[in-house]
Amino acid sequence: MNDLAAAAAAPLTGAATPAKIKVRDVHFYYHGYHALKGINMDIPEKQVTAIIGPSGCGKSTLLRIFNRIYAIYPKLEAKGSIELDGENILDPSYSMNRLRTKVGMVFQKPVPFPMTIFENVAYGIRHHERLSRADMEIRVEQALRSAALWDEVKDKLKQSALGLSGGQQQRLCIARGIALRPEVLLLDEPTSALDPIATGRIEQLVEELKHEYTIVIVTHNMQQAARCSDRTAFMYLGELIEFDNTEKIFTKPGKKQTEDYITGRFG
Amino acid sequence: MIDETTRGNALSMQATSAEPLARDTEHRSRADARHDFIFRILLRTCALLVLAALLGAALSTLWGGRDVLFKDGFKFLFSADWNPVEDQYGALAPIAGTLVTSLIALVLAVPVSFGVALFLTEIAPNWMRGPVATAIELLAGIPSIIYGMWGLFVFVPFMAGIEPWLNDTLGNIPVIGALFHGPPLGLGLLTAGIVLAVMILPFISSVMREVFQTVPARLKESSYALGSTTWEVVWDIVLPYTRSAVIGGIFLGLGRALGETMAVTFVLGNSYNITSSLLMPGTSISSSIANEFNEAVGLHRSALIALGFLLFVVTFIVLLIARLMLRQLARKEGR
Repeated sequence: MNDLAAAAAAPLTGAATPAKIKVRDVHFYYHGYHALKGINMDIPEKQVTAIIGPSGCGKSTLLRIFNRIYAIYPKLEAKGSIELDGENILDPSYSMNRLRTKVGMVFQKPVPFPMTIFENVAYGIRHHERLSRADMEIRVEQALRSAALWDEVKDKLKQSALGLSGGQQQRLCIARGIALRPEVLLLDEPTSALDPIATGRIEQLVEELKHEYTIVIVTHNMQQAARCSDRTAFMYLGELIEFDNTEKIFTKPGKKQTEDYITGRFG
Repeated sequence: MIDETTRGNALSMQATSAEPLARDTEHRSRADARHDFIFRILLRTCALLVLAALLGAALSTLWGGRDVLFKDGFKFLFSADWNPVEDQYGALAPIAGTLVTSLIALVLAVPVSFGVALFLTEIAPNWMRGPVATAIELLAGIPSIIYGMWGLFVFVPFMAGIEPWLNDTLGNIPVIGALFHGPPLGLGLLTAGIVLAVMILPFISSVMREVFQTVPARLKESSYALGSTTWEVVWDIVLPYTRSAVIGGIFLGLGRALGETMAVTFVLGNSYNITSSLLMPGTSISSSIANEFNEAVGLHRSALIALGFLLFVVTFIVLLIARLMLRQLARKEGR
């Protein structure tokens, strides 16, 4: 009985897996505009959590709070608490440097740095660790292998990353992120600028990476969420409407709004 | 008669009803081709005009300086002896003065411009950006004679005041100490270099500011997302991304410093000396010309015009170095 009451009071959660990130009553203000209105959710460890919803619903905003990337711009403000392994990352005393080694991010469009392929991956590592040349080479290779890119680039590590195709560039960005050995990987519509084949490879990669990382993916593409996530959160107008097993969201959604969105009635 | 005209009319009627479209497009495309042709010629003329002006100026200074160049040959380049009374002319002192003052200007202006540009694009709050940027551009609009006057009446006495102190402090450092020994005249290479630095700072910083703004936000975000500090983002991302434009801006400033006449003439001291000390007066190519052109005749005049030609050559070499540097950097990046 007590358990049931506790479950009812608990925030929307995926399932029994331990929560990696606990979002509690998070509000976000964008130049005074109330963009997120009290989000509560538990993001399970080593699973893929997809966030879907129409444009402007706040899904990217929420993702950008998880590594506090919003903080590089003035006049953006987040309230509430987000616990990563029990520590509140919104606390000003939480080191930004530490947060960003724990939480990696991949953006909508592939953004390789204007350097060689090798340097792109080594770049982030250099900021946090001092490695010998040999160790660095091992780390870079590992990262590129995990991102399923090694075979395609191993012979041209010294060439500019700008010469890669869009899909390869995006996998390079993933490699760059996992080179820091983060615990959480945030993907902000990672395939929206890619063709179907490149998209397929990224989705496959997400599937492989979830064994080691907690992944949160924001996507416009509902099929993508259905294909590659374990849990799906539906957001609308700055609120979290529903958060459940992906299968349940797409077959038996609990809320009418979710159902309307899934079936394409709006958005 | 009547028959023929009606037939003619009928024909023309037919022609206008059946082929007007075809004829129109044909006419149109011929006109287009002609317009494009004229436009191309026009543009080419503009470009060639600039080239011709440059070549003309270079050749006419070379021609004007032929007397002294024939007489002294390479000695003109490497002799430091400039004596109009004995008709002896050597360009080494002006060349050295030009290069040294410009170099001082760059060494001082580049880091400051970099700081200004970064502050304005990355750190300054929005309300500050506009006014400060405008103020810097105003600095660029001040005529050089004003800088010269300010330099002579305000800055030279100030420098005369701090030069004994420079003698005592920097002058005692082993290797670079020699640069800071000398009488506290106020005038001299260092003073000229500093005034030049103030003059070229707005050019360099406004170029830098503009190109820093072109760096895509997502590139910077990607770097921040890897845990970079603002400094690391600037140094590793913003600067490499804008590298060629930044170097372009620096050389734009250098070009201006090399050719600057009035301000330098006021504060440089105009003496044909080559010394190790930056506190000693010196001369530069353009200020030598400005100072002596009035009374120069014969070989003296030829020597001054040859100096003008040398300024062309120096500027050309500087631009060449810039090009080579850019190519080197591009190769390093793996492009």
